[in-house]
Amino acid sequence: MGVIEVEDLRRVYRSRTSTFKRGMKEVEALRGVSFSVEAGELFGLLGPNGAGKTTTIKILTTLLLPTSGKARVLGLDPATQHRELRSRIGYVFGGDRGLYDRLSGLDNLRFFADVYKVPIREKHRRIEELLDMVGLRGRERERVETYSRGMRQRLHIARGLLHDPEVIFFDEPTIGLDPVGARELRETVASLRQAGKTILLTTHYMFEADELCQRVAVIAGGEIVAHGKPSELKAAVADRTVIEIETYGVDEQTLGRLRGLEGVTSVSTETIDQAQVILVQAADASLVQPLLGLLDGTTIGKVVSREPTLEDAYVELVREA
Amino acid sequence: MRSGFDISAMLVWPIILASIAFYLLGAKESPRLLFAAALGTAVMMMWAQVIVGAGGSLDNQRVFGTLELLVAAPVPLVSTIAPIMIGSGAFGVYGLVVTLVWGRLLFGIPVMIENWPAFLVALPSCVVAIGLLGLIAAATFILYRSAFALGISMQYPVWIVTGLLFPLSLLPAWVGPISWVLAPTWGFRAIREAALGGPVWSSIGMCAVVSVAYLAISLVCLAYFERLARDRASFRLA
Repeated sequence: MGVIEVEDLRRVYRSRTSTFKRGMKEVEALRGVSFSVEAGELFGLLGPNGAGKTTTIKILTTLLLPTSGKARVLGLDPATQHRELRSRIGYVFGGDRGLYDRLSGLDNLRFFADVYKVPIREKHRRIEELLDMVGLRGRERERVETYSRGMRQRLHIARGLLHDPEVIFFDEPTIGLDPVGARELRETVASLRQAGKTILLTTHYMFEADELCQRVAVIAGGEIVAHGKPSELKAAVADRTVIEIETYGVDEQTLGRLRGLEGVTSVSTETIDQAQVILVQAADASLVQPLLGLLDGTTIGKVVSREPTLEDAYVELVREA
Repeated sequence: MRSGFDISAMLVWPIILASIAFYLLGAKESPRLLFAAALGTAVMMMWAQVIVGAGGSLDNQRVFGTLELLVAAPVPLVSTIAPIMIGSGAFGVYGLVVTLVWGRLLFGIPVMIENWPAFLVALPSCVVAIGLLGLIAAATFILYRSAFALGISMQYPVWIVTGLLFPLSLLPAWVGPISWVLAPTWGFRAIREAALGGPVWSSIGMCAVVSVAYLAISLVCLAYFERLARDRASFRLA
C-alpha cells in the first residue's frame, strides 16, 4: 500500500453568483483523480494553472474536504483523521505568503515550532539544524520583510520541516525564484528524498519534474491524463521531432495552415523577448522545408530540429486534454 | 505584533472616549462618577481591541496566508487563537493606564482604588472574560472573509447593552438579560466595584462563570466552523 493513496477524488467549488439572488455557480476542480505514492518516493504532479494541483494538495494536507472519493496519507483519512495526520505531514507552498513579515526569520521558526509541537528540549537544536540546511545562518535575526524571494522560500522549507514530517507536500516551491535560487531549492528537495522522505511535488516546470521526480502524473482540467516515469512520458512522443522556428508576428491563420500540413502533430507558440517561437511536433525533420514554405513572407530567425523533451510530452498531453 | 501606530492610537482614543463620558454624563461635579467613566472607557477599549484588533489580526492571518498554516498545525486552533484574543484584551490594560493618566491631566479625575487586591484580580478576570467572548466571534471570523467589517459592527452594540456608553437604567428592561451574558458587563462591574466599593467578588465570580461558558461555546463553534471552512474553502482570500 502506498504512503499516499488517492482514489476517484472529486471536488466541486460552489459560490454564489450574487449577494441577493439564490443562484450558485459550480466549478468542478477535480473530476475523479487517482494515483498513489510509495514510501520514500518523490512524486510529481504536473499541470497548468487551474488544473487541480493545489486542490489535490489541500485535500491531502487536511485543509479542504473532498466532495467525493477516497484519500489516505500514512493510512489516515485527511477528511476525518486530520488531528492525527497533521503532526506527521509537512506543507510548503511557493509565493510570498505564509510568513510573518514583521517578525525575524528566527521568531517565525520559534513560533511555528510551538504550533507544530516541537518539544522544547529539541526546538533550539532543530532550528539551528534547519537554518544551516537552508542557508539562512547569519540572517535569521533580520525581519522577514527584508528577505529576498529566495530567502523567504528557504524559510518556508525550514518551517515545513520543523517537526520532521514523514511526508512533505511541496506546492510549486520554485515559483518566482531566480535560476540560482530555484536550483538550490531543487537540491534541497533532492536531499530530502535521499534522507528517505516521501515527497509530493506540484510544478508546471517540466525540467524540474524531469530532474527530481521518479514518477509523475499530468493533471489537466481536473483529471489525470497520464502518469508514469518521466522517461515513459517522453517515450510517448519519442517517435516525433520537434521543430522550433523563430519568427516575428505570425497570425493565427498562418498557424492554422501549419497545423493542416500532413505529418504535423501539434503546433504551439511561445514568446521569448520580442520573438515568437513556433514549436511544431512533426513526424520527422524533413518537414522543415514545407513548414518554411508556408511561412513565406514572414521574417524567420533561428530554425532548430531536436528530440522531444518531457515538456513537449506535457504540452501534447495537456493539449489533447 | 503591535506597531508604534497602535500604541500611538491608544494615546488618542482614551481622550475621545473619556471626553464623551465626561460631557455626556455631565459628571463634572462628581469625582467618583468621573472615575467610573474613566474605568468604563478602559473596558470599552478592551472590547474594541478584542473585537476590532483581533478581528483585523485574523483577517491579516488570512491575507498573509498563515491562517491555513495554523489550521493545518497539530495543535488545536483554539490554542493559537485564544492567546490572540486575550492578548488583545490585555492591550486594553495599557488603555486603562493611559485613560487614568489623561483623566488626571485633562479632567482632574483622581485615581481612587478602594480594594487593591480585588482590583488586581478583577483586571485580569475582565481581560480573560472579554478575550474569550471575542473567541466566540473569532470562530465566525474564520468562516467569513469579511471578518474585519463584522468586528467593527459588533463594537458599538456591546458597548451600549453592557452599560459602558451610558447607564443600563436608560435602556428598555429587556436589555438587562442580554447584558448579563456579556463579559464587559461583569468585567466593568468587577473593576468598578474594586475601585469604588461594592460586591466585587461576586462580579469577579461572574467573570469566571461567563469565561468558562465562552470557552466551552467557542470550542464547539471553532470545531464546527473549521469543518465548514474546510468544506467551503474559505481559509484563503483567493
